[in-house]
Amino acid sequence: MKKLFTIIVCKVLKFVGGLLGKGSSLPGQIALKLCPDILGQIELPKYIVAVTGSNGKTSTVEMIAHILCESGKKVAWNKEGSNQIEGVTTLILGSCTLSGKVKADILLIESDERFAKYTFKYITPTHYVITNLYRDQLTRNGHPEWVYNAVKESIHPETQLILNADDPLVSCFGYGKDNVVWFGAGNLPTDTKEFVGVYNDGAYCPHCKSPMTYSSYHYDHIGVYECKNCGFKRQDTSYTVTSADLEKGEITINDKYKIELTLKSLYNVYNLLAAFTVASIAGVDGDTIAKSLSNYVLKNFRVVTFTLGNRKGTLVTSKHENSISYNQSLKLAASDKEKCDVLIIVDAVSRKYFTSDVSWLWDINFDILKSDNVKNIVLAGTYCNDLATRFSFSKVDKSKIKVIKDIEEAVDYLNNDSKEKIYVITCFSDKGKFLEKVKVD
Amino acid sequence: MKILHLYHDIMNLYGEYANVSALERMLEKSGVKFTTDKLTLFDNADLGDYDFIYIGSGTEKNQKLVLEDFRKYKDFLVEYINSGKVILMTGNSFEMLGKTITDADGKVYDGLGIYDFTVTEQNKRRITGDIVYTADFLTKPIVGFVNKCSEIKGIENHLFTVNHGLGDFENAKTEGLRNKNLFATHVTGPIMIKNPHFLEYIALQISKNTDGFKPCTDYLDYERAGYEITLGELTKRFEE
Repeated sequence: MKKLFTIIVCKVLKFVGGLLGKGSSLPGQIALKLCPDILGQIELPKYIVAVTGSNGKTSTVEMIAHILCESGKKVAWNKEGSNQIEGVTTLILGSCTLSGKVKADILLIESDERFAKYTFKYITPTHYVITNLYRDQLTRNGHPEWVYNAVKESIHPETQLILNADDPLVSCFGYGKDNVVWFGAGNLPTDTKEFVGVYNDGAYCPHCKSPMTYSSYHYDHIGVYECKNCGFKRQDTSYTVTSADLEKGEITINDKYKIELTLKSLYNVYNLLAAFTVASIAGVDGDTIAKSLSNYVLKNFRVVTFTLGNRKGTLVTSKHENSISYNQSLKLAASDKEKCDVLIIVDAVSRKYFTSDVSWLWDINFDILKSDNVKNIVLAGTYCNDLATRFSFSKVDKSKIKVIKDIEEAVDYLNNDSKEKIYVITCFSDKGKFLEKVKVD
Repeated sequence: MKILHLYHDIMNLYGEYANVSALERMLEKSGVKFTTDKLTLFDNADLGDYDFIYIGSGTEKNQKLVLEDFRKYKDFLVEYINSGKVILMTGNSFEMLGKTITDADGKVYDGLGIYDFTVTEQNKRRITGDIVYTADFLTKPIVGFVNKCSEIKGIENHLFTVNHGLGDFENAKTEGLRNKNLFATHVTGPIMIKNPHFLEYIALQISKNTDGFKPCTDYLDYERAGYEITLGELTKRFEE
């Protein structure tokens, strides 16, 4: 009776919440209060796919759902992105019958990396994708090894792990296991022999802590690594990006499946590859997946195009407190064939909590903007002075930099007759403050 | 002038390398010739050669690894500190100077034993937060962030008084350790960038041991403006 009551309450709250446009974690939160072990009482589908990691969870999950739905499978997934146990509870109770059976072929769960151990206490995923472990929101997460330990507690021995082979810390989850599915990139034209960036989180073997060597880097510490001391190394991959032409916007997976990109960043290619891998394991054939993913525009697309007076621009949402994500956004601007001005806004560090910590600015590689196509750089928001200080230690030409604290004034400053395109680089917390002042295309 | 950034590639969290960058910038502006050595595990530094030493924060695992390597410097370090030369240790790096570090599993690691404090780690909850501290040697407060999983008990000569935020342990009113020109604090991130007056004070201490170094401080406009804004934001927040 308690089970039925809890399911009904959750469904009703979810329905009412939906009408009011409220978040998706409250119904689950109340359900868990009513019946703390409710998740253990639900009959789940044969396939339960979990996705976690620092970056790319939401995009990866959305693409997996897209492919599976297009190929006729019924998927229950946390579309709204509420990825802690409460949100997952809303998802599961919202998609089950009154008798407690999830009506789907596949349950697909995006899980917050730090809290996965709570979510997967009652649910044992059949497949578990771990995308990457980067320095992300360190004001809460501590550091990547701290998150590694938290994720480790969420892994059941019988679960099939699907891991990014190019990320050394993620690969550690598969150490000594022989049933892991690995995905990663082959030799790419953009690879470097030397490390590029401010800090190298792959300098030491995550397993034995001896110095590690790389034969190539794809970006940051993502690459082909080997520890000569303990033998820990990048594993051979079953799902591989065998070629990537980012200028053209095309990649090939396993020498065979061509996919056209909407977001021409290598960083996004990994999300796509993870989705390809999961869909293949779920039995969708490669050609169908490639067709589904080609030119697919993410619903949670983090790139917005806009018009400001006579000028065209692109806003790239870049996570604050996440240097690797931020570097990728800087690369988008710096690798544009057209000349551009760049506006960087740091007004609130996070939309979810208060902090004044800007140490993460020092982990970002702003030297990327030392590029001939970048003309002017405008720094705005509450922390514009911290940005200006950080830039004064970068290789970017000082004469290109203008500091304007007030976002509206910064927008006015850019509203001129220049022919150059505008790139705006900012976070979820601040993007609305800019977009309300321009015409979104 | 010689700077040593020790364990630069393994005690390297939270952009703390910029503490060294901050001093280097000031030396450049002051017209002082200097070299910086970036050394790490298994290297051998002659500490006595240097005018400033810096060590930053690392993961708990990396700190234990570094601790084993760091032991070899104990006698030289004591001599360095006693001679009044300047050393800054931030985050969990300075925990190595105490009697013991007990990890989350209860395993006890001997520290260098230069000071009598003890450190206890746990792995349940990351202890983080913005801070405002004061010190009698500074005219303005220190702003910053603490990111740790440990408590420290038994520090005699503290570096800072806690105005807002976390101290050495829960509800502690003091933070960090000072002995002569050893400055040790759990404030993470580039404290010398974020607090230009702290950089000035450190530079002044270095200059006392260095002929011909008159710290130039008239270029720090953005640093000072950034500091004032953060101090304002934090004061507003903590007094709400």
